[in-house]
Amino acid sequence: MRRMGSAEAWRDTKVGMWAWLLQRVAAVGLVAVIAAHLKNPFARPVQAALLALVLFHGLLGVRAILLDFGLPVRWHRLLFLLALLVGVVAFAAFWRWRWY
Amino acid sequence: MVLKVFRWSPGSRERLQKYWVKARHGMTVLDALVELQRNSDATLAFRYACRVGMCGSCAMVVNGRERWVCRTLLSNLARGPVTVRPLYQFPLIRDLVVDMAPMKNKMLEMKAVFVPGRRAMAGDGFAQIGSRSRERRAIDAAIECIGCGMCVSACTMVSHDPRFPGPAALNRVFTLQRDSRDGAHAGRSQAVLAEDVLTRCHGQANCTAVCPMEISPTDSILALRRRAVLRLLGIGPR
Repeated sequence: MRRMGSAEAWRDTKVGMWAWLLQRVAAVGLVAVIAAHLKNPFARPVQAALLALVLFHGLLGVRAILLDFGLPVRWHRLLFLLALLVGVVAFAAFWRWRWY
Repeated sequence: MVLKVFRWSPGSRERLQKYWVKARHGMTVLDALVELQRNSDATLAFRYACRVGMCGSCAMVVNGRERWVCRTLLSNLARGPVTVRPLYQFPLIRDLVVDMAPMKNKMLEMKAVFVPGRRAMAGDGFAQIGSRSRERRAIDAAIECIGCGMCVSACTMVSHDPRFPGPAALNRVFTLQRDSRDGAHAGRSQAVLAEDVLTRCHGQANCTAVCPMEISPTDSILALRRRAVLRLLGIGPR
């Protein structure tokens, strides 16, 4: 069996697995950050983390939905890259736009 | 060149044994293993047949990635020792040889066996589906599976959930569900709706990444899932 604790099991971790794993990590991160945000909604680092994690988690989810709805799986690496790029651009745009 | 080869036999401990091989131009990992067996260690067990990238029986894990060792040139691997292990997810028989029976059993559990239906016969012979027909094109790539087991080895969900049938069995189910000559669509549709089947695939596409026949079992599973959803909504085919 593949032992996930061994270095070799992670040696050939592929893009699709990273996309899946990072979306889950972002979800766990969101739970912690939302709790911190509810305690003090005005802390800028928490706001930044919340925005980054929401974008990251959501856009990777959009990628998964597009594949579920029939986009060919051969595009999944491109979709992962696009999700990351759109996330960075959207983060920069939101962060520059001071809405309060 | 140093080869670190996985060794195990019943009653002994798993270990990586180091061997030295003189790498020649055009030498594959299989060539190296054959040379080791002939000249250094006759007890080394591994499986191969055609040696020319046709049969798929020499599937192993080389430097962490599933590959057919007869197609893997030593010169194409990263510098440093080359690690050769048996496929993951399958029970070990000895050294690099694994028992492929679980994959066959999963196929049987999923009823991934052709059952002639009402449209199986045409005239005096077996009905044929034209190579240019829509039905054939939908499964064209997926029917090329030769059962080497690399997709199963690479699948993290098989590792996580032993009840998950795995990419090879579900790819086979997909081809049969789209075959109008098959008469067991309803039973198979029911089988894939079980808790640990279609919903268990997380679309990581490891299977697609390693398939030497360039099949995408992930696409097959997602197509089955869409079909199952439509069926549950009462608007899709059986």
